[in-house]
Amino acid sequence: MNKDLVIIGGGPAGLAAAVKARMKGVKDILVIERGGRLGGILNQCIHDGFGLELFKKAYTGPEFAQKYIDKIEGMKIKCMLNSTVLDLRPDKTLTVVSPKGLLEIKAKAIILTTGCREKTREMIKIPGSRPAGVYTAGCAQNLINLLGYMPGRKVVILGSGDVGLIMARRLTLEGAKVLAVVEIMSYSNGLKRNIVQCLQDYEIPLYLSHTVVEIKGNKRVESVVIAKVDDRLQPVKGTEKEFQCDTLLLSDGLIPENELAEKAGVEIDSITSGPAVNEFNETSVQGIYSAGNSLQVHDLVDWACLEAENAGLHAADFLLSGIQGKRNFKTNADSGVRQVVPQYYSGVNDLTLSLRVAVPAKNKNIVVKDGSRMVKKIFCRELNPAEMIRITLTKEEVKNSKGLKVSLSD
Amino acid sequence: MNAFDVAVVGAGVVGCSVARELAKFKLNVVVLEKEADVAEGASGANSGVIHSGFKEPRLSLKALYCVEGNKKFSQIARELEVPYKVVGTYTVGISEADRKKLGELKEAGEAAGAKDLEIIEEKELKKREPHVQGRLALYAPEGGITDPHKYVIALAENAAMNGVKFCFNTEVTGIEKKDGGYQIKTSCGVFQSKFVVNCAGLHADEIANMVGFRKYKVNPCRGEYFVLDKKASQLINGMIYPMPPEKTGGIGVHLTPSIDSNILIGPSAEYIDCKQDLGTTARGMHELFEEAVKLVPELRQKYIIHEYSGLRSKLIKPGSRNIEDFVIEENPAGFIHLFGIESPGLTAAPVLASKVRELIGRHAKLQKNPHFNPKRKKMIRFSELSKEEKARLIKQNPDYGVIVCRCEEVSKKEIIDALNNPLGVRTLKGIRIRTRAGMGRCQGSFCMPKIMKLVGKLDFTLKGGESRICHCSLR
Amino acid sequence: MTREIVCIICPNGCRIRISGRLKIMGHKCHKGFEYAVKESTNPERVITSSVKVINGELPLASVKTNSPIPKVEIKKIMEIIKKARIKAPLNTGDVIVKNICGSGVDLVATRKVRRK
Repeated sequence: MNKDLVIIGGGPAGLAAAVKARMKGVKDILVIERGGRLGGILNQCIHDGFGLELFKKAYTGPEFAQKYIDKIEGMKIKCMLNSTVLDLRPDKTLTVVSPKGLLEIKAKAIILTTGCREKTREMIKIPGSRPAGVYTAGCAQNLINLLGYMPGRKVVILGSGDVGLIMARRLTLEGAKVLAVVEIMSYSNGLKRNIVQCLQDYEIPLYLSHTVVEIKGNKRVESVVIAKVDDRLQPVKGTEKEFQCDTLLLSDGLIPENELAEKAGVEIDSITSGPAVNEFNETSVQGIYSAGNSLQVHDLVDWACLEAENAGLHAADFLLSGIQGKRNFKTNADSGVRQVVPQYYSGVNDLTLSLRVAVPAKNKNIVVKDGSRMVKKIFCRELNPAEMIRITLTKEEVKNSKGLKVSLSD
Repeated sequence: MNAFDVAVVGAGVVGCSVARELAKFKLNVVVLEKEADVAEGASGANSGVIHSGFKEPRLSLKALYCVEGNKKFSQIARELEVPYKVVGTYTVGISEADRKKLGELKEAGEAAGAKDLEIIEEKELKKREPHVQGRLALYAPEGGITDPHKYVIALAENAAMNGVKFCFNTEVTGIEKKDGGYQIKTSCGVFQSKFVVNCAGLHADEIANMVGFRKYKVNPCRGEYFVLDKKASQLINGMIYPMPPEKTGGIGVHLTPSIDSNILIGPSAEYIDCKQDLGTTARGMHELFEEAVKLVPELRQKYIIHEYSGLRSKLIKPGSRNIEDFVIEENPAGFIHLFGIESPGLTAAPVLASKVRELIGRHAKLQKNPHFNPKRKKMIRFSELSKEEKARLIKQNPDYGVIVCRCEEVSKKEIIDALNNPLGVRTLKGIRIRTRAGMGRCQGSFCMPKIMKLVGKLDFTLKGGESRICHCSLR
Repeated sequence: MTREIVCIICPNGCRIRISGRLKIMGHKCHKGFEYAVKESTNPERVITSSVKVINGELPLASVKTNSPIPKVEIKKIMEIIKKARIKAPLNTGDVIVKNICGSGVDLVATRKVRRK
């Protein structure tokens, strides 16, 4: 089967990209989704707060997803559900399986919006036994919100990322006791509004600079031991505290899912764990684009969708007019900044940089430099690694630059 | 009537090998297993290596049974459709000082019957194993790898299809000599049997104590393992061993390519007090990595996707330098014990089973079972099929086209078949070891809820007993 | 007596200082001001949860209070949500419980659920 545009992943980013590409004039679009419905992870995100930037409203996940699903249905964009892409090759051919059969597709352009996965207990290497009751926060969220099963009664949560905070509230409202949220860093990883409405509202203690050092229990979790950590993030002997519980949730970080991108031979940025793209969201393979959480982990779905629309826009330009982006110059994350996307730019277009700082900071400037020339300086009162920062540079500002370094300075 | 000719206690590789061996005769056999599935002890927590046997102490049962078992394994693997691959072993020396010791190992190996051993130099080692760091190595072509879970499951399923009864979640609590045989009290009722075979591994001494046989004590010795992401599989081709550690004995922390293209690092060796303690430890995991990176410098922590530990049944006390060997003893009459079945237990299992059968045969003439079928069909593994075969299967059954575990490419049909396995095991771990679902890099965080939905039972457990996955219904 | 709160209306999370009798500082918009007033007098929250669906393609429908409700009523409202049942089909915005707990706020569905 031949297709002009194939979008892999029917979550909010994939849907936003599809809608934009259609609006730009691409008729032949196929969205491939492995789940039974469109909407991706938003189907299980029943809490609100989605759409504050794009729509100025606090939608719940399913409501936000429905806004795009309505557009997809209205525009009659073709979608394959329960369909998994098994292989993607650099020549943009892919193998898909679904209950209908195995299909080979040759695409002219592909947008990868495959979302992300969670850090597991095994990646963190938490010592102890292997009982039932240790789940990633997203897995527990699926159990409770989609299946209607309570994962446990007495819960400890490792990681103060937003997924964990949201689950702390959800579980408490449903009658579970959340004994603690444990965070290895000295600062919380989630949005401030979530600390308030998920932890403070329910008097759930937050243990900063602590981590879980042992899981106990033979068949099911019986207790969890936490300890304070030093400035090298190593547990300090003698500071152990044990919680009798039956559940440990892990909210320790999200990892962009790029199995297919790797199969297609796309250049991956080892810091973001996502493809290295240019300002058109195009990867190192011509005609393959990346956006959403599989490009870089977003704090707000609004930005993931905007990014995906950019990918959709340029995939459309590529298909309709053969316009491609350039990887002329590199952006670099310098002192104080952890990551910058896009990693490459042409120098002839406006450029929106998405970045995250490496550590929390107060009263600092975000500085964009081209060699010794100052391109832009923005003062920020408060900076947190959990928050994605967007800076737009005009084509005049990036003209004649030989590369851009983004850093924090006083 | 719960009356049998032979009761086998323990459904590990030894218990299931004994069961299959006895199924070849006209005997009424029952296997009593306290956990919810087979291979829940050391049989499910090892490196999966089919050893060549030449490293074992000369003329020990370990050496003899291992060599014999290795020879038998290809045929058994074929009959039971168990994966098996001969990959070879490198014992790596890091300096000229190791040359003498490697030479001694080579001589000892050849004397024990190993073929085609060779000392290879740094250049040749680099050619065959580009990511391994070493000055020279002893190469032995005969070592192989299998999937220990699939092997034991296959043994059990074949035994079951040939008439052996399996009772899971059945813990032996007391044994009495009675009525010309033994009366076995369990958590699931009373069994009467003429013969009893004690394959209880770590708990073999506890079972033996129940009939007054207190000669042996089993000391648990923990071995921790790492499993690496398949993305790192190109780092080794064969099994990579360090020079045998002088201080601690044993074979040291080694790297094994698993049959599914993961790399296993381990095991460590640490005597512990509690037979229940299967925890991995921070120090253990740290040491494993430190040792392994000496052999393969390109190893990175980020490749680690899973850790587990197993407990060896050691007969000797910690700190002892005595050589220990397998023990098969009959005491009292008709009660056969197997003690100390640690490495190379997986390889030696079919031979141990034959020895058990011989011991039983001394008491009563064993008549062959004319209906015994040695063949057992394996489960379909969708991810291993060609595109054409996949397409054909999906046409036959659309459930092959729904991928439940994305990391290991496991289809809905495979999950359903695993749930309906011939042994009647219904646990999440049971599905995992039969299909690989949940063994990939996300370790089940995506597929577990999907599997829960397919199972449709709120009280589904991870591994039987109190290990329920969920607590209650939300509404 | 000054107290500092974090506004939860938008991701900015402005730190707002409330002192004396409703002297409010630190907000960047009027919504923050209103939030601070409410938070000091009668704090309110939007509650999101699930309601059991009868005969639906899904066992649960995600729901929300279509406006914030007083924090002190959360427990009572959760009791009602736990007991509520709704028959499929339902659409986003359908009222599940009108005027929940006399708060003047409705509990509404936040997703479509078709009949089985």
